[in-house]
This record gives sequence, structure tokens and C-alpha cells, in this order.
Amino acid sequence: MKRVVWIVALLLLGLAAAPSLRAEDDEARAHRIGMLLRCPVCQGMPIADSPSDMAQAMMKRVRELVAEGKSQEEILAYFAERYGEWALLEPKAEGFTFLLWILPPLALLAGFVVLRAYARRLPRAAPPPQSAPPEAEETSDPYLRAVRREVDG
Amino acid sequence: MNWRNAFLVALVVLPLMALLAFGFGRDPRRVPFALAGKPAPDFTLTTLDGKQVTLSQLRGKPVVINFWSTWCEPCKVEHELLQQAASFYGSAAHFLGVVYQDDEAAVRKYLESRSNRYPQLLDPGTRVAIDFGVAGVPESFLVDADGVVLERQAGVVTAPLVRAWLDGRVDGRTN
Repeated sequence: MKRVVWIVALLLLGLAAAPSLRAEDDEARAHRIGMLLRCPVCQGMPIADSPSDMAQAMMKRVRELVAEGKSQEEILAYFAERYGEWALLEPKAEGFTFLLWILPPLALLAGFVVLRAYARRLPRAAPPPQSAPPEAEETSDPYLRAVRREVDG
Repeated sequence: MNWRNAFLVALVVLPLMALLAFGFGRDPRRVPFALAGKPAPDFTLTTLDGKQVTLSQLRGKPVVINFWSTWCEPCKVEHELLQQAASFYGSAAHFLGVVYQDDEAAVRKYLESRSNRYPQLLDPGTRVAIDFGVAGVPESFLVDADGVVLERQAGVVTAPLVRAWLDGRVDGRTN
């Protein structure tokens, strides 16, 4: 009997906590979406991080749209419709923006091809000479002559 | 450098220069006019007098919508000009002021000592400003008689600009 009471109490506690958990979930979603939207009165700052009144108003709108059950794509599209793709901190790879995505890897590839072609055209380094080491030059320095005698035995 | 190398260099350098020219030719902070040629977002807002104004009910005449606030100095500069324009075009065009992120009492006090010939609307939550893609004040829009957003001015409006917007779009001026 005592066990049943515990289970019922836990279930009731879970039901009571569910709305607040969902609210927290909604807030996390709103913040995540806010991080993808550019604040129109700041310099490249997401609305989720900006203290400006405009960004706060936009965050409030994001929260409303999240509460209405709108998806992330729908909310981003809502702001893009009003502020253009400019409002998106991670613009879609479409149109002119596509160039920004594709140009860096293309430039890297082109650089690699050019370097490879250049390296192929360079003359190969000559192999080291196989001839015997040159005889030690005669010297008039008595100290040097003494050292050579010691070394050569 | 032979012609082949020159061609390869040009192939790399010219598009890069074009890209840089395009990038430097634009102000990255300038918010684009995304509503150009699109139907104006409809709204119903309350005036300072407690009356309700619905944008879609103003179809048939061009509408100039001016977002402003009392803490914005350039807004004060254009206030008198917009009042004169509203007087000049009379019933041939609608003028609406939308108060942007301001205190109602401050707006009332500001307008007490100035002429006001058109409705001043309160925008709780900045909802309508966001719907119009407003990034700051002053910002003004021209909505044509069919409810399509034709023009935007981010900054102070001038007399020639208002004339360019409305002359030719109004049937006749009635003072």
C-alpha cells in the first residue's frame, strides 16, 4: 500500500513539473533560434545575446512563435521575409550566398593544382657526387700539420 | 610571364576583385528593403485618442507610414515636414505615425506643443515595426493604393522625397 502511495505521489509530481519543463524547453529553443538571427541595431550580434530594446522585442516575437508551435525553419523564414536573408547569421547556401560557401574550397583546390603544376616544372635536384673525398690540401701552418699527423696516425 | 600564366592569374584575380568590389560597395549594416513590392503587413493599432486604425481599410489611397519616437532627434527634424506634407496632400493620401519603443506619456507631452495632423499609433511589443522590418528610427514607408509596399526611407524624409513618392500617385490634392 505504501509503495502505491509513493508511485501516485511521484506521478503527481511529474505531472505538476511537466508544464515548467516544457516552458524551459521552449525557452531553450527560442534562445537557440535567437542565436541564428542578426540583431538589426548591433554589429553582427545575435538577438539572443543583444541587450538592445529592438533585439529584446524580436526575442519576444521568437518566444511567441515558439509557443505557437512554429518550427525553427518557419521562424527563420518569418524574419527573413521582413529583414531579408541579411537577418540570418547562417544564410542558406542559395544564390549569391552559394558563392561564399563554394569559393573557399574551390580556391583551395585551385591553389593545390597550381602548386602541383609548378612543382612538376621545377628541375630535379642533382644527385650528390659519388667521387672520393678530396685529398687534404697541403698547408704551411705547422700547427695544422701536427694535428693532421695526430689524426691520420 | 607567358600568356598562359597571365590568363591563369587573371582568372583568379579578376573574380576576387569583382567580389571585393561588390563587398566593399555595400554597407553590411544596412538592412535590406525586404518588403519591396510585397503586400504590406496588415495591422490594427490604437491611436493616442483611443481609436483603432486598420491599414487594409485605408486602401484606395497611398499611405505614408512613419516610425518615430521622442528620443530620436532626426525624427523631430522630419516631424514638421511630415505635418506640412499631410496638410498639403489633404485627403488625397493617408499619413500614419507609428510610435517606436517609446513611452506613451512622453509622446503625448511631445505632441502637446506641436502640430499633429494625422493619427499617431501605439505599437505595443514593437510588433508592427518588426513586421515592416524596421531597424531603427526614423524609418518611413510608402504603401500604394492597392496595399503594396513601394518605398522605404531609412533616415529622415525630405520634401523632394515625399513629393516623388506621392505626386503622380494621388488623384488630386484637397487642402
